[in-house]
Amino acid sequence: MDSAPLLSVLNEDLLIRILSFISHDPDRKAFRLVCKTFLRVDSFHRTHLRILRPEFINTLLSKFPRIYSLDLSACPQIDDGAVAMLVGNGLLPDWCRRLKRLVLSRSTGLKSAGLEMLIRSCPLLEAIDVSYCWSFGDREAAALSFGGSLRDVKMDRCLGLTDVGLAKIAIGCQCLEKLCLKWCIEITDLGIDLLSKKCRELKELDISYLKVTSMSLRSVSSMEKLEHLAMVGCGIVDDEGLHYLGKGCPSLQALDVSRCDRLSSSALAFLINGHPSMLQIYASHCFHEFPTKVVQGLKDLKNLKTLILDGAPVSESLFKIINFNCKYLIEIGLGKCKGVTDKGIFQLVSGGVNLNILNLTCCSELTDDAISAIADSCRSVLCLKLECCNSVTEKSLYLLGLHCSFLEELDLTDCFGVNDKGLYYLSKCTKLVCLKLGLCANITDKGLYYVARNCSEIRELDLYRCKGIGDDGLYAVSSGCKRLQKLNLSYCSEITDRGIECLGHLPELSDLEMRSLLNVTGTGLTALATRCKRLAELDLKDCANIDDSGFMALAYYSRNLQQINLSHCSISDVGLCMVMGNLTRLQDAKLVNLYNVSTNGFEVALRASCVRLKKVKLIASMRLQLTPDIVQTLRARGCRIRWD
Amino acid sequence: MITLQSSDKDVFEIEQSILIQSGTIKNMVEDDFTFIPLPSVDTETLIKIIEYMKKHADKTDSKEKNIKEFDKDFMKKTLNELFALVFAANYLHISSLLELLYPSIADRIKDKITEAIRQIFSIRCDFTPEEERRIIMDNKWAHEGTEIEGTLD
Repeated sequence: MDSAPLLSVLNEDLLIRILSFISHDPDRKAFRLVCKTFLRVDSFHRTHLRILRPEFINTLLSKFPRIYSLDLSACPQIDDGAVAMLVGNGLLPDWCRRLKRLVLSRSTGLKSAGLEMLIRSCPLLEAIDVSYCWSFGDREAAALSFGGSLRDVKMDRCLGLTDVGLAKIAIGCQCLEKLCLKWCIEITDLGIDLLSKKCRELKELDISYLKVTSMSLRSVSSMEKLEHLAMVGCGIVDDEGLHYLGKGCPSLQALDVSRCDRLSSSALAFLINGHPSMLQIYASHCFHEFPTKVVQGLKDLKNLKTLILDGAPVSESLFKIINFNCKYLIEIGLGKCKGVTDKGIFQLVSGGVNLNILNLTCCSELTDDAISAIADSCRSVLCLKLECCNSVTEKSLYLLGLHCSFLEELDLTDCFGVNDKGLYYLSKCTKLVCLKLGLCANITDKGLYYVARNCSEIRELDLYRCKGIGDDGLYAVSSGCKRLQKLNLSYCSEITDRGIECLGHLPELSDLEMRSLLNVTGTGLTALATRCKRLAELDLKDCANIDDSGFMALAYYSRNLQQINLSHCSISDVGLCMVMGNLTRLQDAKLVNLYNVSTNGFEVALRASCVRLKKVKLIASMRLQLTPDIVQTLRARGCRIRWD
Repeated sequence: MITLQSSDKDVFEIEQSILIQSGTIKNMVEDDFTFIPLPSVDTETLIKIIEYMKKHADKTDSKEKNIKEFDKDFMKKTLNELFALVFAANYLHISSLLELLYPSIADRIKDKITEAIRQIFSIRCDFTPEEERRIIMDNKWAHEGTEIEGTLD
C-alpha cells in the first residue's frame, strides 16, 4: 500500500507529538528506519545525542539539525587533537553554534587547550559537566571561565582545582546558577567567599567533602537566591556555620548536612526555625543521640517533602510530630535508625500520610504489622527499602501485592523471611522496576518464576548469593523480563552454562555481575557474548573455570563493553591481549591475580589499550615488574592505576 | 443547539455547552454560526468525537473516576480508528482528546521492529538498500540517549 494516504492524514506535526512519547532507544532506532518521513521527523525532533566515537561526530550531527545537547563521556579518550578535529580547525560547524549542553565527564585525556577550544567554539553553552576529570585544575578552570553564558557547571572530583581556578570561574561566569564542587578538596573559605560575591544568581551549590570552615557558610548565607545547598561530609564546619545559614539564605529550600560530625541538633533547629518553607532536609549520620530540638522544630515545617535521618536514634515523638504537622511528606529516610518500632510506624502513617519513598534499611525490629500499616495507608508507595528487616514474611508481601500496585522499587536484601510464596504474592506488583533479593537464602527458581512471569517492567534484579537460584530461574527471567538491564548473579553457584546461555535472550542486558560461578565455562560465556550485544559492564571475578574460548568470544563480539573485572580468572596472555586490544570501548579494567598471564602478557595488553583506558587495577607486585615506560604512558594519557 | 454535518452529509444536533470543548467549534459559535459543516470528518469518527465530548462535558469530582474508566475503554480501538480520531481531534482542536491519543498510538508502536511498524502504518519503505545501510551504520556510532525535557529554557 502506498505511503501517501496515511501519511497525509498523519502529518509531520502529529507524528512528532506521537514520537515524543517514544523515548526508548530500540524503539527510536526502529522508527528511524521505517521510511524517509519518519527519519526526517526523528532527526528533526532529536535534541540530545550520546556519541561513542568522536571521529564521526561532524557527519552525524549534520543530520540532526536540532541537537543542542551532546554527551561525549562514553567516547574513548577525547583529547585535544580530537577536539581540534571536532571544531573543524577554525571553520565552526553549525552544531557548535547551537550547543547548549555538553557532557565531558571522565574525559581525562582532555587538557586545558582542548577545553578552551571547545568553550570558545560554543558561544551559547549553558551547561557543562567535567566531573571525574581528576587531573583538571586551575588551567582548565581558566578555560571554563571563557564560557560567559554558563549557568550549570559540574566539577565533582576535579582534584587539581584551587581557589585561584574557582576565582577565575566566578569572575568569568557570573550568570552561574548551579555549581558542583564536590571533592575538590583544595578549595578553601577564600574561594567560597569570592564565589558568593561574584555569582549572585547561584541557586544550587554543592560543597560536599570540602575542607571548608564555618566562615564559608557565612559567605554562603549572603547568597540571596540559593535554594539548594549540599555540604555532605564537611567535617570542619560547626554550629557557628549553621547559625550564619539560619540568619541568611532567604530562598533556601533544600539542605544536605549528612555526615557533618560537628553539628548539633539545636543548631539545625535554629536554622529550621528561620526557614519555615524548607522542603527537603537530609541529615543522615549526623546525630549520635536523638535530635530532640530538630524533631520539635519540624512542627513548623508545614511544607516538608523530604526528611532523611538515617543513622540517628529515634523515638515515637518523632513520628507523632511528623504525622501531625508534616502533611505533605513524601519521602522519609530511617535507614539504620535505632528505635524504629511497629508502633512508631503506625503513628507515622496513620491518618493517610501518603509516603512515596520509605527507607527502613536495618530497622530490624519491624514486623509484618508495620508493613501492613504502610501497605494500607500509603497506597501509592513507589520505593520501599527493607534491607535486613528479618521479621518480614510473606504476609507483608501479600499485602504489598494487594494494595501497592504502583510499587517500583523494593529492597529485600538479607530478609530471611522472604520465600517462594512471598514472591508469588509480590508478583502482583506488576510495575516493579528494581527488585533486590540479595542474600535471601529461602527463595528458589519457583519463586523467581512468578516474578518473571508477571513483572515485565523489571530493569534491575539483584540475586547476590541466592543459593537456591539455578538455571531454571534464569530461563524464566530471560523469557519474562525482557527489559532487564542490570543483573547480579554473584555466588549463585548452581548456575551452569545453560543458565548463562538463556541470558542471551535479554536484548537490553548491559550490566552483569557473575562472580565465582564455578560451573560456568567458556561455552557459557561465548553464548552470552554472541547474543548480548549491549553488554557494557561485566564482572567475572573468580570464575576460574572459564577458559580462553570464552574470552576470545568476548573480545570478538562484546563491542560495547566499557568495564570489565577479570580478577582471578584463568585467562592467558593471548586472551588478555585480545580482550584489551580488540574491545575499543573498554575504559575500566580490573586485572588482579591473573595467574596465567605473564609480565610480558600484561605489557602487551596494556600497550594495546593505553589509548583508551581510563582506569586499571593491578596487583601491587606488578608495580615492580612492569617497565616504567608503560606506567608513564598510561599516566600521561590520563589513566588512573590502582595497585591492589 | 448547534448542528454539525459530517463529510457523509449526516447531521447531528448537539448542545452548545458540550461542543465548546472543541476550539474550532467554539470559535465558529462565537461568530454566531449554528450550522457547522465538517467536510474532513466522516460520520463514524464524528459519532465517537461527540461521545467523547459528551462524557467530558460534565467534569464534577465524583465523575472523575468514571471519566478515567471511559477514557481507558475509549482508547481500545483499532489503529486506523485512532488515526482518524487524531486527525479529527487535531482539526477540531480538542486538546484533551489529543493528549490521550498520542501516548495510546505511541504504545502501539513500541517494542516493534521496523517492518512491523511499516505494516501498522501501511507504509512502503522508500529507502534504497544503500541508504538503509547508512542509517544502520549511523545508529552504531551514536548511542541515542533519552530526550532532555526542556530544562534549559
